[in-house]
Amino acid sequence: MSDGALHGITALELGHSVSAPYCGKLFADYGADVIKVEPPDGGDPARGWGPFPGDRPHPERSGLFFFLNTNKRGITLDVTRPEGRDLLLALARRADVVIENHRPGRLRAWGLDYEALARVNPALVLISITPFGQTGPYAEWNGHDLNAYHLSGASSRYCGRPGEAPLEHGTFAADFYGAVAAATWGLAAVYGRERAGGGQHVDVSSAEAIAATFVGGQNIGGYAQNGIFERRTGVGMPLGAPATILPCKDGHVWMLALEPGQWNGLARVLGNPDWMQLEMFQDMYVRAQNADAIYPLLEQWTMEHGKREIMEQCQANGVPVTAVFTVAEAAEQEHLRERGYLVELDHPELGRLRDLGAPFKLPASPGGPRRAAPALGEHNAEVYGRLLGTSAAELARLRADGVV
Amino acid sequence: MARALPLEGIRIANFGWVWAGPVVGQTLGFLGAEVLKIESRARIDLTRMLPPFGGGVRDPDRSLSNHACWAGNGSVTLNLKKPEARELARELIARCDVVIENFGPGVMEGLDLGWERLRAVKPDLVMFSMPAAGLTGPLKDIRTYGLSLTSTTGLDSLTGYRGGPPIPVENAFSDPYNGIMGAFAILCALHHRDRTGVGQHIDYSQQEAVMQMVGPAFMDYAMNGRVAAPMGNRHPLLPAAPHGVFPCAGEDRWVSIAVLSDAEWRGLVAAMDGPDWATAPELATAAGRAERIDDVHERVAAWTAAHDDRELAARLQRHGVAAAPVLNVADLLADPHYRARGTFIEVQHPLGFRETIYGAYVKTSRTEAHVRTGPRMGQDNDHVFTDLLGLTDERYRELIASQVIY
Repeated sequence: MSDGALHGITALELGHSVSAPYCGKLFADYGADVIKVEPPDGGDPARGWGPFPGDRPHPERSGLFFFLNTNKRGITLDVTRPEGRDLLLALARRADVVIENHRPGRLRAWGLDYEALARVNPALVLISITPFGQTGPYAEWNGHDLNAYHLSGASSRYCGRPGEAPLEHGTFAADFYGAVAAATWGLAAVYGRERAGGGQHVDVSSAEAIAATFVGGQNIGGYAQNGIFERRTGVGMPLGAPATILPCKDGHVWMLALEPGQWNGLARVLGNPDWMQLEMFQDMYVRAQNADAIYPLLEQWTMEHGKREIMEQCQANGVPVTAVFTVAEAAEQEHLRERGYLVELDHPELGRLRDLGAPFKLPASPGGPRRAAPALGEHNAEVYGRLLGTSAAELARLRADGVV
Repeated sequence: MARALPLEGIRIANFGWVWAGPVVGQTLGFLGAEVLKIESRARIDLTRMLPPFGGGVRDPDRSLSNHACWAGNGSVTLNLKKPEARELARELIARCDVVIENFGPGVMEGLDLGWERLRAVKPDLVMFSMPAAGLTGPLKDIRTYGLSLTSTTGLDSLTGYRGGPPIPVENAFSDPYNGIMGAFAILCALHHRDRTGVGQHIDYSQQEAVMQMVGPAFMDYAMNGRVAAPMGNRHPLLPAAPHGVFPCAGEDRWVSIAVLSDAEWRGLVAAMDGPDWATAPELATAAGRAERIDDVHERVAAWTAAHDDRELAARLQRHGVAAAPVLNVADLLADPHYRARGTFIEVQHPLGFRETIYGAYVKTSRTEAHVRTGPRMGQDNDHVFTDLLGLTDERYRELIASQVIY
């Protein structure tokens, strides 16, 4: 087994649910030694979130936990107790990164805030990921993925029908986004800590990351200058047409044909009907103004064909139409199979189970899940014994006292 | 804070265009890298022509959205249709650590700037390619826009109102997401290079990176064969109720409320002043609330509808309930939280207009990100061609006249 790219980096993850665990997974899947620290009484709540085989809850059979915690070592530790705190600080002395997603103030209450960690290890990078961030008037607010996503402006601007509720993506979109921003800025802080003169506290608000880079980028400059802003339409891209999701015989397709070459390619696929050859329809803006007429005509055709057939024919004619794959169809794509994106892992409770593989390929230092998520406290003896030199008797006492 | 930034000394040639590629460079630029975007007047990037323009003057150096999305990148103009320009690009790359590109597979090879050619001029180069579906496989040449790429991952099949069709996300969420994760991939490869002396060509499939967000639903498919459908604003996994967006007083005003624990539910009941329907014992447990989720949502909506969204969020927070206003674009600029965090900043562009862009979208305690205005085309030409590549003034002028530097 060749070393991963991040070989040599040790991270402690005080993460729960989605955001910090996914950040920790990115480090672990690319070769860092990530030690996940869970509370002894039940561990990471994601162990209770499922999905479970046959919908039967079991703390070692959560699909979410399985997905988010590959390649990590797992220990239990009650960091809310002084003895637990001291053990955590001893681990932090040997670590390069701590990744956490508790509400601001929680670490301070435990005596584990950045100042306390930096005192024992000035080169340490602390990565905090929360919906709202460590500073600002909402910093102390309670929040989940849903609250962060809708505070970013993304839903009001880009998703849902006018007059109806703005929509989240249907996954933990803000948690994932915040996790990715945290992994990037956190790794940069580790990579450049000699240049920068030491470690630092990396403060990620997942709402802010989306508000800035997704929504702000294309909207805020124009609004600041001209005082005009747009809202969701529920249709797609209102400025050009076709740019929408249309139903077809067996589901839906993303119907996109904006440039003249794409529109004419689409016309070829449809057998060059007269209406598509109207000179005025060469202009995507004119088509957008007539979307109410055009979309039903296109839909008549899509409803007669399957999503794969539509995608294949359109792609062959230079039209960027894609099938809206269900999760099953997406997972079974020949393309992903050939690229080895899907992997299988052995898990003591779940058996051999499929998982999504590495999000990107590093040929000289391959990444991706290799070892299934740890059972609760699976690596206690290994980490406390070998890393901290805790004796077996002492570990037994810590266990009996409920610290570990 | 005068401290050196973490990536100071790292130089990057960024052939990225439109959105995702430029965000990769922007992120590394915020962190201290010197990022030189390679572009040309021979084929002006379409996002440079997106209105509105600074001061209302239509010009490729004044697109406000382009500037926000590209700020942090520098700009060097090379007309890569000309062999001399490609030679200059290779000379520049020999002095870089990283090359970024987001064309389709094979385009860089066509420009004589492919991986094999470039590693010959810079043996420990990190090259980062981010085509839509990766460098290999039957779909490698797929044509997509960022806003529809998500349809090939299963993500779009989860977005929409319950029981209804998929509703499109009306812009390319995947572009900045991949731009930021792409910077992580490059940092991994740089860490590996520093340790081993070995560079590499990163194969970053935007499809595969985005599909990670489908992980929770994928696991239900892998374990139970179940295929998820649009779920509105419900919790993706838990039977949590209420969990959604509820109307408030005013036009298109909403508040998000996410109740995951019984403690949060008790807080919500208290914030509503304990109405009879909410104190019913069958709603005291998560399972009981989930069974009656439609009814719970209807009642909560009837209560929120009379309230101001911000006042209501603050009141719910005082009771420990996870609630926040749903902001629109205008709200982002006025919001006290984003103002306190300096999320959006107004800067003076060298061409003489003010522009509002975003700065460091992640805050760092030791180092302060470099925030630059949107790049003018060719703003770094003098520095690159005379200081870095050592061209004589005469040769530099010739190359400009012959539109090699263009």
